[in-house]
Amino acid sequence: MARRTRPSAGTGAADPANSSKPLSVKEERQQRRQAKVATFKLAQERAKRRRRLAIILSSVASVAVLGLVVAFVVTSNAPATKTTVADLTGVQTWDVPGAVHVDPKQVDYKAEFGMDPPAGGPHWAEWLNCGIYTQPQQNERAVHDLEHGAVWITYDANKVTGSALETLRKRVPATYAVLSPYSGLSTPVVVSAWGAQLKLAGVNDKRLDAFIKKYWQSPDAPEPGAPCTGGVDGPGRI
Amino acid sequence: MAPAGSDRRLRTRLIVALILGATLLVVAAFGVGRFSVPNTGAPDTFSAEAGFARDMQTHHLQAVELSMIVRDATDNPEIRLLAYDIATAQSQQAGQMHGWLNVWGLPQAAPEPPMTWMARAVPGGSGHDHGAATGGFVAGERMPGLATDADLAQLRSLAGVGAEKLFLRLMIAHHSGGIEMAEAALERTTNATVSSLARGMVKAQQSEVSYMQKLLEKRGA
Repeated sequence: MARRTRPSAGTGAADPANSSKPLSVKEERQQRRQAKVATFKLAQERAKRRRRLAIILSSVASVAVLGLVVAFVVTSNAPATKTTVADLTGVQTWDVPGAVHVDPKQVDYKAEFGMDPPAGGPHWAEWLNCGIYTQPQQNERAVHDLEHGAVWITYDANKVTGSALETLRKRVPATYAVLSPYSGLSTPVVVSAWGAQLKLAGVNDKRLDAFIKKYWQSPDAPEPGAPCTGGVDGPGRI
Repeated sequence: MAPAGSDRRLRTRLIVALILGATLLVVAAFGVGRFSVPNTGAPDTFSAEAGFARDMQTHHLQAVELSMIVRDATDNPEIRLLAYDIATAQSQQAGQMHGWLNVWGLPQAAPEPPMTWMARAVPGGSGHDHGAATGGFVAGERMPGLATDADLAQLRSLAGVGAEKLFLRLMIAHHSGGIEMAEAALERTTNATVSSLARGMVKAQQSEVSYMQKLLEKRGA
């Protein structure tokens, strides 16, 4: 801000006159009036400057704040579009009771938990190696895979054959997934994870991808990332 | 009367100046901080960070599998210890990457084929340094260094020195591919957590590769 020398109103202007000769009363009065007017004008001018300065500064501040807001919006990531899964209607979920090892006892998942195929629960210590199988698998081993974050895709071998089966095989994730036939399914394909299951209309049902997106290696499984290899190869592994 | 008025004006002016000054200072400081530091927002699901976190988990878990197979196939303490080292270290690292995706609110399942993030050009890269900037990687192809199902089956069928030699060969290739992937991530990220782990992978796996080459030579290969 420019520094201004403040003229001492009145006295300074009067000094030279004072030294030359004494002023008449009239002259003095006039001089005082002039000084007053000068002071007033000065104050007015100062107020004007102040207003102008305030306008400039507040404009600068507004622009800065606006720029900041724009910059923030532009540079901040769009909030990770949380998997608003396209279509996951029909998923059945269970609050799975425990994950104890019960081998060699077999578990009646349907009677005990209302799950068929099983989607979690007690299981055997030896897990099934993930992969594609042409024959039905031991439930108690596959459930151990679900505990490790795998999805288990089961299909009705009478309804899903030939090119339909090929299509389904291509949709199986490369790791942490088991594909096997299962008898007594109510729909052609059923996909299960720990505590969740979805009955699919067929091998092209779009909801399979949505299910995998949500449940494959999900932190909702007790041990996602635990191995799906190094266990037991079931019958008919290809 | 007049001095009191000008005092008040002076004070008002001072306060206004202080407020404006403080505002500008905050704005400037925020701007400097914001633009000088890499964006710390969570990576999105198509980012190199997310792609690396997903693909490297798959890659690492195969190293774990190879190591566990050879530990069962040999009594040699050197190989068994190396396999123990690799299996535990890479499991732990896979777990870190799993955790990142969870913290970032992203699914573990990839929305696009493996290596898609590596096939994308390096941001700001010149792109003409012998194709290695993008690595010449192709989306959906087999990740570098991954053993095939046939390799795994063969390793399972062997025992003793035969298993050791195949393991070493497979793991040297596996580590070399892992280093390529970690380097691809380093070229594409400014995320400090991701960079730190990727740098660690490069360093540790490079030294393990030379160690394994010595072990392989010792076995006459």
